[in-house]
Amino acid sequence: MRSSTIVVLDNGASTIKAGIINNERDEDIQDKVRIIPNAVVRSKGDKSTYIGHEMERCRDYSALHYRLPFEKGYLIDWDAQKAVWDGLFSSEVLGISAAESSLLITEPYFNLPNIQEVYDQFVFEEYEFQSYYRCTPASVIPFGQLFSPGAAPPAECTLVVDSGFSFTHVVPIIDRQIQWYAVKRLDVGGKLLTNQLKEVASYRQWNMMDETYIMNHAKESCCYVSTNFLEDLEICRSNPKRNNITQEYVLPNFSISRNGRIRQPEDELTPTDQVLVMENERFSIPELLFRPDDIGLEQSGLSATIAASIMLLPSDLQGMFWANIGLIGGNTKFKGFRQRLFSELRSLAPSEFEVNILECDSPLTEAFHSGCAFVKDTNFSDLVVTRAEYQESGANASRRKFRDWQISEDNSKESEKGKAKQGLDDDDMGQLSRKPSRTKVRTGNTSTRRR
Amino acid sequence: MPPKKAREQASRQVNSAKQVLAPEVIAKRTRRHLDELERSNYAEPSISLLGEEEDDGAGGKYAKGRARQTISDKRHFGDPSAKKKKTSMNVRTAILYRKNLATLIEESGIAHLPPNVPTYLTAAAPPPVIPPRLLCSVCGYKGSYRCKKCSMPYCDLNCENVHNETRCERRVI
Ligand SMILES: [Zn+2]
Ligand SMILES: [Zn+2]
Repeated sequence: MRSSTIVVLDNGASTIKAGIINNERDEDIQDKVRIIPNAVVRSKGDKSTYIGHEMERCRDYSALHYRLPFEKGYLIDWDAQKAVWDGLFSSEVLGISAAESSLLITEPYFNLPNIQEVYDQFVFEEYEFQSYYRCTPASVIPFGQLFSPGAAPPAECTLVVDSGFSFTHVVPIIDRQIQWYAVKRLDVGGKLLTNQLKEVASYRQWNMMDETYIMNHAKESCCYVSTNFLEDLEICRSNPKRNNITQEYVLPNFSISRNGRIRQPEDELTPTDQVLVMENERFSIPELLFRPDDIGLEQSGLSATIAASIMLLPSDLQGMFWANIGLIGGNTKFKGFRQRLFSELRSLAPSEFEVNILECDSPLTEAFHSGCAFVKDTNFSDLVVTRAEYQESGANASRRKFRDWQISEDNSKESEKGKAKQGLDDDDMGQLSRKPSRTKVRTGNTSTRRR
Repeated sequence: MPPKKAREQASRQVNSAKQVLAPEVIAKRTRRHLDELERSNYAEPSISLLGEEEDDGAGGKYAKGRARQTISDKRHFGDPSAKKKKTSMNVRTAILYRKNLATLIEESGIAHLPPNVPTYLTAAAPPPVIPPRLLCSVCGYKGSYRCKKCSMPYCDLNCENVHNETRCERRVI
């Protein structure tokens, strides 16, 4: 049976990106996305608790206390998660009847099997969805626009860089299959960056330790990735007052505005305005994505991590990965991110290979939109686990059906052997069991090795 | 750049200070700092979201006792007449007994999978190959010296003084 309503839910650790696809009414297929905080927030100012979508009603953004369902990128607080999902599914946001809907939900990379079981339990025992499909954000990216702007089919070998709230992943994909043995994780994400900015600003200027919301906004407004870190440090040092880096971030005065602002030249301050001076903080914070060792984190930076991942892939395909790197996730929105990554990758990649980095308009919602495309382009109803199947065989039903790292072992062996056994008809994009075909890849793209 | 005299003085301190602080102590401090950067809230209030006792957010252990009230039970969205259904035992357990990630990793058994199976534990980015650089722990500029007591880097005499007065050997913020 095909449910007429499919809920697409990109369940991020900081924000949920969700929407509905309705099969019966074509005009509704427009991927309208709702973005809501995945948090239960207590405002000190008005002594109210805001659950998920209710945050838009909050007026006092100072000293918010956050309760997040995710810890270090994994879903552990199901009480908080249920509260947020209850609101999301209710008529206040999506207004769905779960029992008549199917669900596509994203999960973190390398999600733990014992956590996955709880996903199953909530989907079927609590919300009673008709059926559901669970996968990582990167696994639906090949169905979206990132690697195929316009109508061009995406390359067979792509590498997704997903830099989100909790961490940053490098995810190589061959023929729509994640190559789990080469997936790498850098433990730097938006949360760490905001906390680092909080700490540095509090030590140097104002105590902002309780002002996560404000400092996150300051980070998003002011920070950029430097293409020459040491030079930018010199500029700030040698001429602290007059240089083109230093900005003043005017902290919000909550009776007037929710967010702070970057002070413009003609911007007169009132006597009560408080200003946070952003000097080397502007670029030292995002720098941690490229130099985690600056705070003592013993991991390679993003560029070296990408190179390490590609080295684990079949050697005759590596050129294609260098040429098809795509960026998703909020941190990739920092100004200069792509430029810095490109210059570093260019020096790490073998000179005969082209390095190419693809971006999309909205890296935050790219996984959501790709998820919608995935639902439409595949025989989605064949891929899901149904409630009946769950009732029949419990967690085994999804273990058998959802492809993730746990069954990647056979996958990587297949790819090592390079055996392309596939009765694939190219029209059937939904054939997820399709194995990587190296023969096809070689002939499929001749532009990779240019020299 | 600090005056020459100050620089000389500072470098003498560095020399005399080389092995004062054991690498394990520095590693421990770094780990603690990295843990702090994972926190969702700096100040964990003694009174929780809904006025009852709350276990600490990010590193929370098991929920304290069965009596703990849940937030998801308290709020009902949308149609108030919607039928209340019975919560399954599995779901109830997940809501009431929160486990932290370290516990869940241990219980998942991924540490005992064959070494060729990629997991959360094996996927961490490799250690850096380039040597670390010193950045001033006070102002963020290139660091040239390390404090002889706590080994945190600073860039000049001025920042050294600030360091000594504020967070040497303790974390003030
Ligand atoms: Zn300094
Ligand atoms: Zn010291």
